[in-house]
Amino acid sequence: MSVYFLHVLILVAIYAILALSLNIIVGFAGLVSLGHAAFFGIGAYLSGLLMIKGLGFVEAFLLSGFITAALGLCLALPALRVKDDYLAIVTLGFGIIITLVFLNLDITGGPDGLVGIPPVTLWGKPVYSKWAFLGLTTAILFVMILSAYTLKQSKIGRAWAAIRDNDVTAMFMGINIYSYKTLAFITSSFWAGLAGSLYAHYTAYINPHTFSMHTSIKILAMVVLGGIGSITGSLLGAAVLVILPEVLRPLADYQDIFYGALLVLLMVFRPQGIMGKVKITEIFGRGR
Amino acid sequence: MLFQQLVNGLVVGSVYALVALGYTMIYGILGIINFAQGEIYMYGAFGAVITLGATGDLSLAVLAGIGSACIVGVLLERIAFRPLRGTHPLIPLISAIGASILLSSVARLLFGPDDRSFPLEFHPSSYSIFGAAEITGLQLVIMSVSVGLMVILSLFVNLTKHGKAMVAVAMDNDAARLSGINVNNAYMITFLLGSALSGVAGILMAVYYNATSFSMGTLPGLKAFSAAILGGVGSIPGAIVGGLVLGVAENLGAAYISSNFKDAFAFIALVLVLIIRPRGIMGSRK
Repeated sequence: MSVYFLHVLILVAIYAILALSLNIIVGFAGLVSLGHAAFFGIGAYLSGLLMIKGLGFVEAFLLSGFITAALGLCLALPALRVKDDYLAIVTLGFGIIITLVFLNLDITGGPDGLVGIPPVTLWGKPVYSKWAFLGLTTAILFVMILSAYTLKQSKIGRAWAAIRDNDVTAMFMGINIYSYKTLAFITSSFWAGLAGSLYAHYTAYINPHTFSMHTSIKILAMVVLGGIGSITGSLLGAAVLVILPEVLRPLADYQDIFYGALLVLLMVFRPQGIMGKVKITEIFGRGR
Repeated sequence: MLFQQLVNGLVVGSVYALVALGYTMIYGILGIINFAQGEIYMYGAFGAVITLGATGDLSLAVLAGIGSACIVGVLLERIAFRPLRGTHPLIPLISAIGASILLSSVARLLFGPDDRSFPLEFHPSSYSIFGAAEITGLQLVIMSVSVGLMVILSLFVNLTKHGKAMVAVAMDNDAARLSGINVNNAYMITFLLGSALSGVAGILMAVYYNATSFSMGTLPGLKAFSAAILGGVGSIPGAIVGGLVLGVAENLGAAYISSNFKDAFAFIALVLVLIIRPRGIMGSRK
């Protein structure tokens, strides 16, 4: 198998983790986030910096997940006081602020980005092989899929579903809406942080542009394309939106046109996405 | 220094307010965030710049700019929003994001990736305000055009039949339909007005910064939306106040805190307002 093909597969796996993590917020809990790339970026920069400062990969990897989750909590506490469109704009603003922070801090390397991020080390040895990295990423993706399935069926997942379908009813059933919504943000940002860490050590170089609003929208498009709330859908959405731009590389100038048109057409003709069984309006409860 | 920053902030803020008016009307009436408002602004600027380059006639260029903004706006409503009426707000939101990406990439293909300067050069004289600050003729023009349009819009909404129809549709879509108002017409007029205002804003900014590019609308669009929320979505005076507050906050923040974070202040202000007063400064209902 060619190195290039492996590279695309690794990116698919990383983006699948990202799309699934966003699906926890959007699909499971019925909230909107347009700033997901910020968590991806926080995880990437944290993990890269921690390893440059001398930590091992496993420590840096886990720490970046937990610290990103803590930042997810910091965003959720104020942001979840508002709903729907307002939440979309607050998360979008958060994403823009974080990109500006990456651009302007000294420690992140500013617009030049962070150079020389050490590769993944396992059992004391650096892992350079793309095969090994693909194995690692797939294993983590697998754990994520399992935990997403478990979470969806657990008490927490059912509470999220209740809030998503009708928050007032959920409240009367004794569900603490605010804490459960916050929990969705924490869980989601944890996984996004891990995905960021993998990405940073894979590419060895990151810059603020990778984590801009454009990426946030791309991740959201993956979730929407696959089908909001569907786990297989997120995987499929990530695969399609990573592979398609590679296939369409000769048409790179037209890529964004295609991509914008796809979102509009999808919303008009098939808002439930490829794998969605029910209409998005049913997933989200009654439209206004 | 402080007064100078205030003046500069008010000038930019009045342009934000123009775009914010479009957002707030569309949100008030259709309940959707028109993410592509910034792209309408950009097409307005390009319409003017290209016509001016070809003909050299400024008034024709302004008309062409407003016209192209209106065409884009009305097409957008017909294609990306009308089929989605009555669905969950997330659906038109994503559709609008898609439309915004589509419009800006089409513009990149049509007009190229580089900045264009405005084909006319202005050498306005400056005026001193009580010796504390200076305002250029261009800034004066921008502010007076903005204020004039705001007044005209308020008069239109409050006094004319079509304006009152818009207000009725915003209050209760079904009741408006039952009392014989053509709801589709009201939607179209809303988009026409919102787009025209954004088009004018785009032209003003193309002159002010002497730069027109395919991505010029993204940040002003987002900031104007923040301004609309800041002032209280659905409220016309709110959008004006929000735009001015945002413009001033941004300039003061850039001058006294950090110019690198200039674009962040708008969003920090937004987050703060939403936490302290989720309805916005002038908003009456949630």
